[in-house]
Amino acid sequence: MTKDELKEYVSTHFDGKLTPLDTGRYDPMFQVKVEDLLEVARALKADKNLQFDFLCNLAGVDTKEHFEAVYSIASISKNLRLDFKLILPYDKAEVESVQEVWPGINWYEREMWELYGINVLNHDNLKRFLLPDDWDQGYPMRKDWDAPDFKRMPEF
Amino acid sequence: MTGKPVLFIELYGLFHWLYEKLQATGLSQAWVNIITYTALGLAIFTLLALVALFLVWWERKISAHVQQRFGPMRHGWHGWYQTVMDAIKLLQKEDILVDTRDRLVFFWAPVICFVAAFSAYVVMPWGKGLIVADLNIGILYIMAITTFTVISLLMAGWGSNNKYALLGGMRSAAQMVSYEVPLVASVLVVVIFVGSLSMVDIVKAQSGLVFNWYIFRIPFGPIAFLTYVTAATAEANRTPFDIPEAEQELVAGYNIEYSGMKFAMFFLAEFINLFTVSAIAATLFLGGWNGWAFIPSWLWFLVKTLGMVLLLMLFRWTYPRLRVDQLMEFAWKFLVPVTFANLIVAGVFRYLGWYW
Amino acid sequence: MVELPTEEFVVNMGPQHPATHGVARLILTLDGEKIVKIEPVIGYLHRAIEKVCENRTYAQCIPIIDRFEYVTAMSCNYAFSLAAEKLAGIEVPERAEYLRVIMLELNRIASHLLFYGVTAMDIGAVTPFLYGLRERELIVDLFEMTCGQRLTYSYNRIGGVSRDIPKEFIPQTHEAIKIIGAKLSDYEGLLNENPIWLARTRGIGVLPKETAIAYGVSGPVLRASGVQYDIRRNDPYSIYDRFDFDIPVRYHGDCYDRYLLRLDEIRQSIRIITQALDGLPGGEIRAKVSPNFKPPPGEVYSRIENSRGEMGIYLVSDGTKKPLRVKARGSSYNHFEVLPQFGTNLLVADIVAIFATLDIIVPEIDR
Repeated sequence: MTKDELKEYVSTHFDGKLTPLDTGRYDPMFQVKVEDLLEVARALKADKNLQFDFLCNLAGVDTKEHFEAVYSIASISKNLRLDFKLILPYDKAEVESVQEVWPGINWYEREMWELYGINVLNHDNLKRFLLPDDWDQGYPMRKDWDAPDFKRMPEF
Repeated sequence: MTGKPVLFIELYGLFHWLYEKLQATGLSQAWVNIITYTALGLAIFTLLALVALFLVWWERKISAHVQQRFGPMRHGWHGWYQTVMDAIKLLQKEDILVDTRDRLVFFWAPVICFVAAFSAYVVMPWGKGLIVADLNIGILYIMAITTFTVISLLMAGWGSNNKYALLGGMRSAAQMVSYEVPLVASVLVVVIFVGSLSMVDIVKAQSGLVFNWYIFRIPFGPIAFLTYVTAATAEANRTPFDIPEAEQELVAGYNIEYSGMKFAMFFLAEFINLFTVSAIAATLFLGGWNGWAFIPSWLWFLVKTLGMVLLLMLFRWTYPRLRVDQLMEFAWKFLVPVTFANLIVAGVFRYLGWYW
Repeated sequence: MVELPTEEFVVNMGPQHPATHGVARLILTLDGEKIVKIEPVIGYLHRAIEKVCENRTYAQCIPIIDRFEYVTAMSCNYAFSLAAEKLAGIEVPERAEYLRVIMLELNRIASHLLFYGVTAMDIGAVTPFLYGLRERELIVDLFEMTCGQRLTYSYNRIGGVSRDIPKEFIPQTHEAIKIIGAKLSDYEGLLNENPIWLARTRGIGVLPKETAIAYGVSGPVLRASGVQYDIRRNDPYSIYDRFDFDIPVRYHGDCYDRYLLRLDEIRQSIRIITQALDGLPGGEIRAKVSPNFKPPPGEVYSRIENSRGEMGIYLVSDGTKKPLRVKARGSSYNHFEVLPQFGTNLLVADIVAIFATLDIIVPEIDR
């Protein structure tokens, strides 16, 4: 399946829960609503033509208007790749854990929670991870967070 | 042997001459004995200290050349007094003492290790007539004394109050006790044929042709030699059996908490042990101080012992390390049956007179 | 007969430990010598690379991303340049592509040689460490000749490479890979059939295929578990589709297979380098990229086959000259995550062997 065919297939199947976006510059990018996440994840893995069983990456992003959680997945047996994202508003940043679909995502979700403050529901181990255990200075990767001793250099 | 010069080169003549000079001074026999044995003790102590220093340097050079590098090169020609410098450094290091240690046990562990290592040299035949005391239980005495090292390792592990040290001490105790059995069984093969436990008798039984050496007496000799070398490597805590000091796993095992002079004692005792097991191998299997007469006997002894030491060192720098349960399995499921079978075969041969 | 009650005790392995390659920490719950539970703890090397990159221009990010995984620094800055080139749609000249492939494969060989040395040392044989590093010196000298650096190269730029190779490079590379190919048989002769080595690595730390895929394990660890998946073949980038090389696969998934597979991969890399050196064209080494590089808004997740596994850079651009988000995904992250899944029939020495053959590098985990 080529990338365009994949985009076509995914948009039409799965009840339209994955809406294609055109921001992806190499692999197809889709958007999924927050409440559909677990269902879409299960379906993507279970689909006979796709079998997306490999999780490549989960990244949290802070565009200055909202949070995004971007999932990059791949299919080992069918040689396919796609990404999808969830748009999360600042005041209600919560996702469900998709650990049961891709167990490897456990640590990625934990990191996303720790650095962005995006809450992950049903996660079994939401504890301090990369940051020290007694960290209480907020969520570092957010755009409005700077280290206390950070001085912004003038633009050139 | 003809004439005094040969006796002096063979060194026992020198010692007899000194003893006669001492007796001629007219002191009472008790004093003469005290002075003699003190002097002998100091002589052995000095000799072993020098041997240990030499072995440390030699190990560094051998390992370096195996690994295609040079080793110590700065202190003296090819770094020969590097070890002296290291010893001085260790002497002046701070003796870091953990507060929660078990004081008595912690203090005495290195002492016992050191004393046990040195005590084995009372019956070591350095050359013709060069033995401190020819006990008639020679080899049995050595086996017994070297077992004290087990106690000292356990004491070190316990006294440090440290989980890693304890694990190291436990493992080493298990290992050394297990490998005592094949060690003694290999040694017994030789004792069966000599008919006596005395070290001097063992060496005398191998005099004459090179084929009299026990390593060449097919079929039990080579097997006994091989099992002895394997068990001896384990007794000396060298790779592939160096679990107690496996640097990569437990960060030096039982001697984690030791620093300064106490650490130096463990370190030197390890090399003395290495020399002991090699010397026993040379004595029992390679003919001791027997050899062509144009080289003095103590030189033969040193050459053979250092050859065995070289072999053990090459083992260390070539082989990976066995896991602790594999090590125990190897001892109990392989070495013990093999050595016992060998012993039985040797006994049968002795009984039937099929030996020379 | 009285049952003596025993207690499990908790041992801390790391963060400063000779066997964890870097500052990683494992909290082991031991029952005697057997391991009951493994809990990995990370974060000792967290340098906030991703946050730092958000305040740098794209070109300034390249030396920072170098430190993301310093043993294979060529792959790191290649992954980043690839992502930026995909975002902006830049066409890289032929010569630059060939040079990139040569450098990537040389780096792969260097990393595998280091793996060989360090694994042998962890399992107890100290001498192969010196042998592996001696051969790695040959490759590191090549890198020093080209970009002046021995570890963190910053060689790739957006649109190409930064410098051309000097004229001694090609003959010296041929010499180096000839020596390495010959020495490989020495390495195999030293350890492959050694009964102690086999006892320590064969059957130890078996990773079944399904667990590997479920936990996102990639690279040689995945291929040693029987999955034939290599991003250079399955999702090709650069000019890898022009070269003729095999993807070695092994099926047992134990430490021994992982060790053998990486030695096989060295051979395949030697093949690729030979073909690339033969076909090296002339021309530009860098596409024309303005110093004020501003890719159009968009996002891309570009992944490459690093010597450890899949390395991915997820890059989001909002049209300015600084990236909005750079997420670096390292394969050691997933490998460290899969450690507790190795089963409970392990001893402490086995954990050391498994850790070594998974080829975990800690900066990839902590970034």
